[in-house]
Amino acid sequence: MAASNEPLLRVTGMVKEFPGLRALDDVSLEVGAGEIVAVVGHNGSGKSTLVKILAGVYTKDAGEVEFPASTPQEQTELHIIHQDLGLAVQLNAIENLGIPKYRGLRESLSPSPVKREKEKARALISRFGEPFDVTVPVGTLSPAQRSIIAIARALDGWQHPRNILILDEPTEALHASEVRVLFEAVKKLAAEGAGIIFISHRLDEVLELADRIVVLRDGKKVADDARSTIDHERLVELVTGVEAGEAETGRTDRTHGEVVLDVAGLWGEVLDGIDLTIHAGEVVGVAGVLGSGREALPAMVFGELLAAADEFTLSGEPYERRRPGESIRRGMAFVPGDRAKYGSIRDFTARENMTLPSMQAVTNAAFSVNVRQEKALAQELIAKYDVKPARPEQIFKQFSGGNQQKIVFAKWLRNKPQVLLLEEPTQGVDIGAKQALYEAIDDAAAQGAAVLVCSSEAKELVRLCDRVLVLRDGRVAADLHGEDLTETRLVLEGYGLAEGHHGESEGEQ
Amino acid sequence: MKKTESIPTVTEGTKSVPQPASQWRRILSFRNISALYIFIAIFAIFAILTPKTFLSPGTWVLLLDEQTITVLAALAVLIPLNVAVFNLAIGAEVGFAVILVAVLQVNVQLPWPLAVVLALACGALIGTISGLIITRLKIDSFIATLGMSSLLTAGLVLLSGQRQVLGLGEGFRDFATGGIPLGGTFKITWPVIIMLAVAFVLWYVMEKTPLGRRMYAAGFNPDGARLSGVNVSRLQIGSLVAGGMVAALAGTLLASRINAGDPTVGPNLLLPALTAVFLGSTQFKGGRFNVWGTVVSVYVLAVGVKGLQLLGATDWVENAFNGLALLGAVALSRWERTSKRTAAIKRATTFGRKARAELAEQQAADDPDRAPKA
Repeated sequence: MAASNEPLLRVTGMVKEFPGLRALDDVSLEVGAGEIVAVVGHNGSGKSTLVKILAGVYTKDAGEVEFPASTPQEQTELHIIHQDLGLAVQLNAIENLGIPKYRGLRESLSPSPVKREKEKARALISRFGEPFDVTVPVGTLSPAQRSIIAIARALDGWQHPRNILILDEPTEALHASEVRVLFEAVKKLAAEGAGIIFISHRLDEVLELADRIVVLRDGKKVADDARSTIDHERLVELVTGVEAGEAETGRTDRTHGEVVLDVAGLWGEVLDGIDLTIHAGEVVGVAGVLGSGREALPAMVFGELLAAADEFTLSGEPYERRRPGESIRRGMAFVPGDRAKYGSIRDFTARENMTLPSMQAVTNAAFSVNVRQEKALAQELIAKYDVKPARPEQIFKQFSGGNQQKIVFAKWLRNKPQVLLLEEPTQGVDIGAKQALYEAIDDAAAQGAAVLVCSSEAKELVRLCDRVLVLRDGRVAADLHGEDLTETRLVLEGYGLAEGHHGESEGEQ
Repeated sequence: MKKTESIPTVTEGTKSVPQPASQWRRILSFRNISALYIFIAIFAIFAILTPKTFLSPGTWVLLLDEQTITVLAALAVLIPLNVAVFNLAIGAEVGFAVILVAVLQVNVQLPWPLAVVLALACGALIGTISGLIITRLKIDSFIATLGMSSLLTAGLVLLSGQRQVLGLGEGFRDFATGGIPLGGTFKITWPVIIMLAVAFVLWYVMEKTPLGRRMYAAGFNPDGARLSGVNVSRLQIGSLVAGGMVAALAGTLLASRINAGDPTVGPNLLLPALTAVFLGSTQFKGGRFNVWGTVVSVYVLAVGVKGLQLLGATDWVENAFNGLALLGAVALSRWERTSKRTAAIKRATTFGRKARAELAEQQAADDPDRAPKA
């Protein structure tokens, strides 16, 4: 047995840099045996970078990872359960647990000992509470049961209980009752001597489960305290970095015109009756945690995702059968969150991407594209949005993330859209480009566009928006503007933790 | 060792003027027009080996005419492939048109121009049905056209009874064998003119018009194209309709040339057509499927095969040559595209390893306790 007071894992001075971004800045961390350490922080705070370095996906730029309790007899192992679990959904629990280990041709071809395998799978799973059917495809099981399979799989083969288990956002897809099941399993493990790192942005869960809480913000560790010394309010302050009461508030400096987009009762796969009104020159934000319907809203307004609405008027005209092509003709523009997959044609040049949505302006009498005119237009747009390198003939995928996004913006803003729908407009973009994109959005609003911004970054929404709708479970949970529109409020409302909602949301979850 | 490919940066606001010399080098590079170089090589080899037959004008006029059907079939594959739709039914489509145009003349006693028009309309209809299956039922084009191919083959057997349909209409034979006389016994046949016209129109639409731009966009990234306002389903259906008509045109010309409705000739075109399209995509446009690349590929392959045949090689040579040429050309263009990058990465990693080793040494010198044990 190793000396029990040594921590199982010690991370010291971890640094990771990406171009234009310091994702981790001198982060240190210790996990002892039997301890549950929660790592919390916003999107982009460096949580996932930390996990990816520990997993070996990224290499660290500096810092050390040590396993002080590790001895030749009892080596400390590190197991990671990623957010998407990595299960093969068509296969059953037995197969996912990797129990059938066949070696050589003879074993591979002889009939498998089904009964024995079944028993073994049951035994592994029953460590974490109620056993369930291990012979059905795991895709048909509940999310909590799937998580348990993932944990059981990670644990199978542990020579001793004193290992590290990292859970990356394990509760994202779980219901409240299922979260309990998972937490019980995790606590049981810790009681047996495992060290747990629990990555989450659900603050209430963190407060419930953790022994110690590490808060990351913008790549730096801002707190590393015992659970008992942190209360809810303090945790929100630490995560957002904004002291209660002295926060930045939403924009009030814009003048609004007529109503441009008026939607009542928008209903679709994850949305459950959303009302949305945007005036000319107004920037409306949409916040909410993943799965709240935030990411589906712009695509549904644009007509890419199927959605029904009680009423849908665009510039005073009803617009029933929404399709991307028709939406563009009616003056909408949509910058999707995933630029490589949806926002662009990666193998086209910058010029070809910029003109794709509407080519009438560069088409001549012989139905052909006037390439000279098109090039001039692209050159002009590139200069206007400061795309670097300023080469319209460069293939889109060879630009950096920020410049790709500038090209996508240029492509849409060229037509002076009436409605500008933005989904995560600055995702994976460096600081400089971010500022330029914000200015482009301000500019579009000043010219009378009705702008909708969906973002997971509270700071961004406060910077950009006159008003923010916070979605929760497909409904509008709050409509914040002016004084009320602060980062703290956005985070609280998003998780259903704002004053007055607290008890209700706990019961609901 | 440390020399890396410097990426020219355009920092000053001046427009980057393309240098004519480097542009020509790019255009004439092996990677861009490998088929033409191969053509020259083949030409030189056979001109030396069998000068009498290979260099006779008769061979060339015949070759030009002979391959028009394959070119048309390849173009019929190319159109939908540009919007990421595979058409594996091409052989059956051509075969069906061969039989249909014959049956309409022999059994229904229609005049031949009307039969040709009806065959083309039928090609369009087949394309529409395939398109609807792919876009509405959301069946992968590979599977959908494979199924369609089976159905068409069944129809073809049903119509022909597995026998040649003989006794075609008056004047129909001229459709494929007539042409503009060049003096002597030579002439530019109608199929050649039709093929060039079709190729020209397709080239114009694909390379010059907004429609063509949208087709390429839909082919590269259907989701992205749709979100940019491209009606991808409509383009897919439209391209299958156009492809079906071109295939039917190839079928009618083929029926006219052999002066019979032969149920066996069409299906053989699938592989040569696909080969030409893929080989063609390595030419001129750096990986984009394109019209002239396809046309040139058909002829380069045909010339190679013809030369080998003149040398006395037998039946197997055509398939062997086509297969080797396709694999060789695609592998070469792939290799040329990646070799530079691979080399750069290799250099970077060896350099990185060296730097790490140096760093470790330095650390060991500074602080012997903390040096990595490894």
